[in-house]
Amino acid sequence: MDEKMSIMVVDDEEIVRESLFHWFKKYGHVVETAASGFEALDKLETHPFQLLFVDIKMPGMDGIELLEKVKAEYPDTMVIIITAYGSIESAVKAMRIGASDYLLKPFKPDQLALVMERASHQKRLLFEHDYLKGRLEKITRFDNIIGQSPAMEQIFDLIPEVAQSDSSVLLIGETGTGKELIAKAIHAKSRRAHLPFIAINCGALPDTLLESELFGHQKGVFTGATHARKGFLEVVSGGTLFLDEIGEISPKMQIDLLRVLEEKKITSIGSREPVDVDFRLISATSQDLGKAITDGSFREDFFYRINVIMIDIPPLKKRKEDIPLLIQHFLEKYGHETTKQVDRVTRDATELLKRYDWPGNVRELENAVERAVVLSQSRTLGIKDFAFLRSSPASLSRPQSLQEVEKQHIQQILEEYNWNVTQASKALEINRVTLHKKIKRFNLERRP
Amino acid sequence: MRSQKKPVGVVPLGEVPEIALKVIAAHISGYYKLSVQILPPLGHPEYAFDERRFQYDVGIILKAFESIKFKDHDKVIGVLNLDLFVPIFTYVFGEAKQGGKFALVSLFRLGKNPDGSPSPSSLIFERAAKVALHELGHLFNLLHCREKNCLMHFSGGIQDLDKTPIYLCRYCSTYLKDRLLHLNLLGSEEGLCQ
Repeated sequence: MDEKMSIMVVDDEEIVRESLFHWFKKYGHVVETAASGFEALDKLETHPFQLLFVDIKMPGMDGIELLEKVKAEYPDTMVIIITAYGSIESAVKAMRIGASDYLLKPFKPDQLALVMERASHQKRLLFEHDYLKGRLEKITRFDNIIGQSPAMEQIFDLIPEVAQSDSSVLLIGETGTGKELIAKAIHAKSRRAHLPFIAINCGALPDTLLESELFGHQKGVFTGATHARKGFLEVVSGGTLFLDEIGEISPKMQIDLLRVLEEKKITSIGSREPVDVDFRLISATSQDLGKAITDGSFREDFFYRINVIMIDIPPLKKRKEDIPLLIQHFLEKYGHETTKQVDRVTRDATELLKRYDWPGNVRELENAVERAVVLSQSRTLGIKDFAFLRSSPASLSRPQSLQEVEKQHIQQILEEYNWNVTQASKALEINRVTLHKKIKRFNLERRP
Repeated sequence: MRSQKKPVGVVPLGEVPEIALKVIAAHISGYYKLSVQILPPLGHPEYAFDERRFQYDVGIILKAFESIKFKDHDKVIGVLNLDLFVPIFTYVFGEAKQGGKFALVSLFRLGKNPDGSPSPSSLIFERAAKVALHELGHLFNLLHCREKNCLMHFSGGIQDLDKTPIYLCRYCSTYLKDRLLHLNLLGSEEGLCQ
């Protein structure tokens, strides 16, 4: 028995509770006792026990009834039944209901040691099972995409459906909304999941370098090409290619990629031999591609080729109900990574985070929580831990002087009341003459 | 240099061979470097006899110890030649409360080999010393150890007890030394036998 467990001994006989209590203490386990099934259920509500030792014969609620309730409410809690020689049938019944083991009273000390060893082994198996299941879910589900808002639920429903097809996907969303995570989730759910997922940020590479990265090159075709190199379109072979910031690529590159998508062949720079390629394309952009098409910087035919399925990812400010869930997720993530015991955010701080506009979206929220966790001195994050948000670029763009605030506010109210001075002055709780004076002083005019 | 304030008390209950008490005391002194005092015998603990089980209840004897107080001793080991039990177990070789003051050691089941044949007295005394050192370990807050080659490894039967060494593993030894230093029962230059 090599692991410490939290154990509860449930027996109406004090002497049995005491004996087992002291015996388990000798192994360093955390031990609690309960004199009845009711007391045990009360204690289970406040503390998660890993193992229960339960006597079958107890007044009020017997061990079998307690076992049934425990297995229904806390299926991961192991239960070992203690029974007298006369009630073997009950022990058999208990095993059928889900007891991990049973002991006949009185037992030899080494029998208890053996039962505990088995329980410890079972606990380890359960832990490994949960761990692997969690890992598998993380890999195959929507890795780190958190949300319960209707918009996100819709996306969660869409991902497995989209993953089944090979059609090109265009992800639209502001920076930091998690476009790459969704691309990865689609890949993970697709038949290509065991093949490579390659992500390229088109906006980060100059056109010539992007061409070389995607198509590859032959040895000596340009300065520095000391050896031949395969492009990502070939390397991805069978997997998924994620092109982020697709709106940034040049018209020439759009034509080249369009040809690849249509012919499923590429020719590396300096070569004349086309090579067959097979990949699924997922693109993403934070730009308005419709506008780019209108002003001629983005090809319409290429747009329709990459936009067979479009997923619009809402910015964080439009799904604020997800913020508490995201906070909890990042607390767990950074609590684990930094081994700091920070597991709560006060209600005030949560409200503050919900009011904030998050121009950098989920990524900005993640960075904010990480920073707060790292710098926090207590288990709970409060408003002061997020004070740095007030000096963010978003808040700095707001007017700083009182006069400017007043001017903007009056303008806003006038626009709201369609420049009806009587109604606007009522809303501002000033008289009409004063409002006229202020309009004149601030040179306010109706916005087009 | 010993700076111990109070010696460990070894007290017989009823008829116990004097040699067994001396062996136990010598082992405590030799292995744990503690001073030991063999105390005058206490009476046979008839009050703890359970007529259904024909055994003596450890819990009742330990409670009786608490009323005696033993003011001159911080740790006391009672030695008996009687069959001991705690209600959940069929028998025990010894018993001690974790971090407590009193422990019991029974010689009753130490006299026979696993096959039922009588054991030589040297082996019986070695077993008694192991049980005493193990229970005294619990009194100094040592836990059961998962290392099989450690005196604090749990022994459920005589076979296990014979396999268990009489010394502590490095981890338990370090822990015990630390405890004894903390309690001012051991000089910093002294080490425990390993």
